[in-house]
Amino acid sequence: MENAMENLSSKYGKTLMLDKLFSYCPGCGHGIVTRLVAEAIEAMGLREKAVSVVGIGCGGFSHHYMDIDAIEATHGRSTSTATGFKLASPENFVFTYQGDGDMSAIGLADLLHAANKGVPITALMINNTVFGMTGGQMSPATLEGQVTATTPNGRDPKLHGYPILVPEMMRAMQGVKYLARESVADAPAIRKAGKSIRRAFECQEKNQGFAFIEFIVPCPTGLKKSVKDSYAWCKDQMVDYFKPQVFKDEVE
Amino acid sequence: MSSETLFLKNAETFAESMVRCGVRYHFAYPITPATDVMKHAAVILPKYGGRMIQMESELAVSNALSGCACTGKLGATSSSGPGMSLMQEAISFMCAAELPAIMFDSMRVGPGDGDIIGAQSTYFQATRGGGHGDYRTIVLAPYSGQSIVDLMPEAVRLTYQYRNPVLFVLDGVTSQMTETATFPEPHDYSADFDTSGWRYTGTKDHPKRFVVTGSYSHNQGYEMNERLRAKYEKIKENEQRWESAQVEDAELIVVAFGIHGRMATELVSRLRAEGRKVGAINPITLWPYPDKAFEQLPQSLKNILVVEMNHGQMLDDVRLAVNGRVPVHFLGKTGGDTPLCTLREMETKALEILG
Repeated sequence: MENAMENLSSKYGKTLMLDKLFSYCPGCGHGIVTRLVAEAIEAMGLREKAVSVVGIGCGGFSHHYMDIDAIEATHGRSTSTATGFKLASPENFVFTYQGDGDMSAIGLADLLHAANKGVPITALMINNTVFGMTGGQMSPATLEGQVTATTPNGRDPKLHGYPILVPEMMRAMQGVKYLARESVADAPAIRKAGKSIRRAFECQEKNQGFAFIEFIVPCPTGLKKSVKDSYAWCKDQMVDYFKPQVFKDEVE
Repeated sequence: MSSETLFLKNAETFAESMVRCGVRYHFAYPITPATDVMKHAAVILPKYGGRMIQMESELAVSNALSGCACTGKLGATSSSGPGMSLMQEAISFMCAAELPAIMFDSMRVGPGDGDIIGAQSTYFQATRGGGHGDYRTIVLAPYSGQSIVDLMPEAVRLTYQYRNPVLFVLDGVTSQMTETATFPEPHDYSADFDTSGWRYTGTKDHPKRFVVTGSYSHNQGYEMNERLRAKYEKIKENEQRWESAQVEDAELIVVAFGIHGRMATELVSRLRAEGRKVGAINPITLWPYPDKAFEQLPQSLKNILVVEMNHGQMLDDVRLAVNGRVPVHFLGKTGGDTPLCTLREMETKALEILG
């Protein structure tokens, strides 16, 4: 076991803390995105200056698996907290890691204003269409007709509106220099997501403006599906509505 | 550059003073009667290598301030009424995370949307904490431009020494008043404190650090709360501050802060000239409340009168400190075209009690 850990450490470097007990549920999409983020930090040599501002919810666990400084902000305000931090300490590499509940419900105003200001931070939204930590309630990103703990008959657009398309709202904002939606539905998508993260980090490293990536991931527990079925649902249903694409890459 | 005397609105004096004492980042959202702070900060901060950032709401303001504080550098904010209400969650957060910050509440009349006219109606919010959890905010109550200037170095010391946000509360009357204040030579007091032992600026010079204020249901969280309790006890023991006038042989002591504290001193001079034995206590720290000022009440004392621009908020603290030893009376009003008690009203009430 020890040898296996050493082998992993030599592969992943110092950022990813492989000895930490994992608190994501089996099959959770956060595990993949957290690893991709850690890999990008390691590969780009950002570890010692990286500061993660995480949201409230399962995304808040992410920093426990990375050997970097972190701030667990108040619910929804990570991008504002990151804005104040980056202003006072521009030499740090500052990114937020938030779920769709934290970011697109209670934190939407903070996100959009940080984006519109073009604050040179990187904001990552991990969208699994539910409030995962509290037990799978509807989020603004819940799909039409999707059954959740608070939409027992499925999300009704007449009552709840349509699933929120966050990057689409940011497209016209000039301060946003890198804007993408990725997924972790299968291996090619995961590889693409990894590349996208590096591009978003580069945007901050070159001090060019705000960078945002939405990740479409499954929450097997919240969706009440097997791991396999939740990935199939992610690929068929989620990605069909939340279309992965690079909306904008103005990083020079 | 030696000392400098300026004729400024007291809200501007606050901005001038905080910048001269080391604040480099100011986050705010426009709201009367506090906007003069952010306006003045926007003009002067760039000269000191700092910035005023106007955010989209007080939610964003207070959280940007806490983010700034995580770097160890000194940030500030200014607001009033509903703006302060929106900041309460972040103030609870900063107290739990033990972050330094300077805040300014130009108190206006409420409740609800409130109105721009001055008041002292957020005494409870400031001293009890409008946010959740067992936490305390250090609260300072200047009564003039000069007292703002004199208190600012202490505020910076308090916020770094105890790693706890410090809130200045000024009734809107005091904060909108224009008067002279003499500023000592600028000095960045925040630079006198070493933050390398706790700031969150990357693992280059320390093992991983993280701010967690959401984990109390295990032993570490319990200990964190106990550590905060011990800190608050230390602040209560060491940092009570007040001014008093002629209390030694007084039959009546008038207790008031802010503009009414200033007027109480005037009232004492007036009534003493008529041979009436009146004294005054003017609390400068509202938390910790200056209980010590009430420990040795003179034998001659028969009554206490509390005067406030509200319906009786500090009154509770005076009653707790006096603990039934003498009767505590109250005179207060809030709102209207004269949103404070006039000196004549104070005098009438004092004479009525004196008999």
